[in-house]
Amino acid sequence: MQALKRSLEILKSSPALFILLLGFGLFPIYTSMADLPFWNDVSMRIMLLGMAALGLNLVLGFGGMVSFGHAAFIGIGAYSVGISQFYGIDNGWLHILFALLFCAAIGLVIGFLALRTKGIYFIMITLAFAQMLYFFFVSLEVFGGDDGMGVDRASFLIIDLWDPLRLYYLIWIALFAVSLLLLLIINSHFGVILQGIKDNESRIEAMGLSALHFKITAYVASAAICGLAGALFANWQEYVSPDIMHWSRSGELMIVIVLGGLSYIAGPLIGAIVFFLLEEFLPELLYFIAPDYSENWMIIFGPMLIAVVLFTKGGLMAIFEQLHRRITQRQNTT
Amino acid sequence: MTKVSLELKDISKSYGALRASHKLCLSVNKGEIHALIGPNGAGKTTLIKQIYGSEQPDSGQILLNGELINNTSPSLRVRKGIGRSFQISNVLLGFTVLQNALIAELARKGKVFRFFAPAFSDPSLLSGARNILEKVGLLHQSEKLAAEISHGERRLLELALAIATNPQLLLLDEPLAGAGAEESRHITSIIENLKSQHATLLIEHDMDAVFKLADRITVLVEGKTIASGTPDEISNNSAVRNAYLGDGD
Ligand SMILES: Nc1ncnc2c1ncn2[C@@H]1O[C@H](COP(=O)(O)OP(=O)(O)OP(=O)(O)O)[C@@H](O)[C@H]1O
Ligand SMILES: [Mg+2]
Repeated sequence: MQALKRSLEILKSSPALFILLLGFGLFPIYTSMADLPFWNDVSMRIMLLGMAALGLNLVLGFGGMVSFGHAAFIGIGAYSVGISQFYGIDNGWLHILFALLFCAAIGLVIGFLALRTKGIYFIMITLAFAQMLYFFFVSLEVFGGDDGMGVDRASFLIIDLWDPLRLYYLIWIALFAVSLLLLLIINSHFGVILQGIKDNESRIEAMGLSALHFKITAYVASAAICGLAGALFANWQEYVSPDIMHWSRSGELMIVIVLGGLSYIAGPLIGAIVFFLLEEFLPELLYFIAPDYSENWMIIFGPMLIAVVLFTKGGLMAIFEQLHRRITQRQNTT
Repeated sequence: MTKVSLELKDISKSYGALRASHKLCLSVNKGEIHALIGPNGAGKTTLIKQIYGSEQPDSGQILLNGELINNTSPSLRVRKGIGRSFQISNVLLGFTVLQNALIAELARKGKVFRFFAPAFSDPSLLSGARNILEKVGLLHQSEKLAAEISHGERRLLELALAIATNPQLLLLDEPLAGAGAEESRHITSIIENLKSQHATLLIEHDMDAVFKLADRITVLVEGKTIASGTPDEISNNSAVRNAYLGDGD
């Protein structure tokens, strides 16, 4: 009870996160009134992408480790569901447990090996591990290889997911829990030291702390969160294939984070929303201007991303923060 | 009852053909300030790095309170009682002065793998952090970002972080570097006031400060000890005068 109270208390420290979570929670009411059930589906995709990006951001934004292989953990989470079902395990809670355990274990191994390197080497090693896992699943013919495997929406004991809204709220609760967890972590003893390592690793070492231990711990936690997102993703998509862990997905996660603002807890969620809206509407917009190019919406998105990075120095969240500051200043002066 | 805190036995280290440390022997006792002086490039910082553990000697032994620590990592050496300030300020620039001290206090207490306990709002950590800043007189800048304070104040913060873990052996690499005259006096008096609490190895180019603070002085030139003794002995040593103090009589 105490913990819950503190969690809700701490939510006040990030109004943006609170508003976003509330927005996702109330969104189905809007879609049912406006009769746009398709948008529930979009919202679920955004929440899942946002959840994975939140997980990655623990190492990327708060730990300063540029991991270029986190899609692998989404994939492992998703395959945990598919493979469990293949062997007749239908309990969704067990699927999630497996996803968390496998991702944590594999995250521990990858983190242990990769975190001895820095900079470009770390990026390349994490990418290499992710590619290994990708081709491992491509080669697993039993589980569909390249073509992947079908997944039934799992049953979560009394709660089954025949009604899409139940899946929606399962994902929402998971997103809520992950957000709160991360908010608590980044404000915790562990979290401030992790951010200290990002700022200046040699000073943290000079305080008698082994930076590697903190980095590995963060890496494992972040892998597990991506695994959770992956397990829910399999339920949402009702299908898993190696495609989910393609390297471009890892890049997509990083883009989402950078777009939203990597030093903000709510950054990945904002990034996920904007990224999906752009992915949805930029092609249509482009179709009006230059129909032949409408598939290549990245042509416009690329420069937009660069502009955001160059001019905001902290993603979209930095813009919101500045706006907020200006408004409060104006209120104070009048 | 003097207690030897640090003892170096025949430390040698080369960078290729360059001898940075040549059979160096040196000890620092508790409550004592041992100054290490010498011209630029003499190998002073290199020696500190070997004591701290970020560089390995090619040969020789490093003993901390009698224990051989040659093969331990820097962070473990800090936990065993070494505190270090860097020649170039090495603080957490993106954090406030108070947060810098608070993280050091957190590290000292060792309760670091706590994932839910809030750090920056913890009253006992905050008071510990304020204590640290009070020792160096930096409390008035608590809320400023470490990147925004003056150079001299950053030297103070650097010193504060070095002593925050209550080290038995304090390694100070040019604590006065770049500080103004007033600040230099301030930092010198802090080092003097704290000297009884640990063994201090002090590298410094400011000779006024060195002769004011040091109980013993070792002079290093091109990786070799050319003299070692009390301040009086050193100031009267002709080899030192010729090689370094250079007031050519
Ligand atoms: N990593 C390194 N590789 C090669 N040479 C090095 C390295 N580190 C230091 N040196 C050389 O070793 C010598 C001693 O350097 P050191 O930094 O210990 O000098 P110092 O006595 O601290 O000088 P200063 O008073 O300028 O700080 C110098 O000639 C320096 O160029
Ligand atoms: Mg030096």
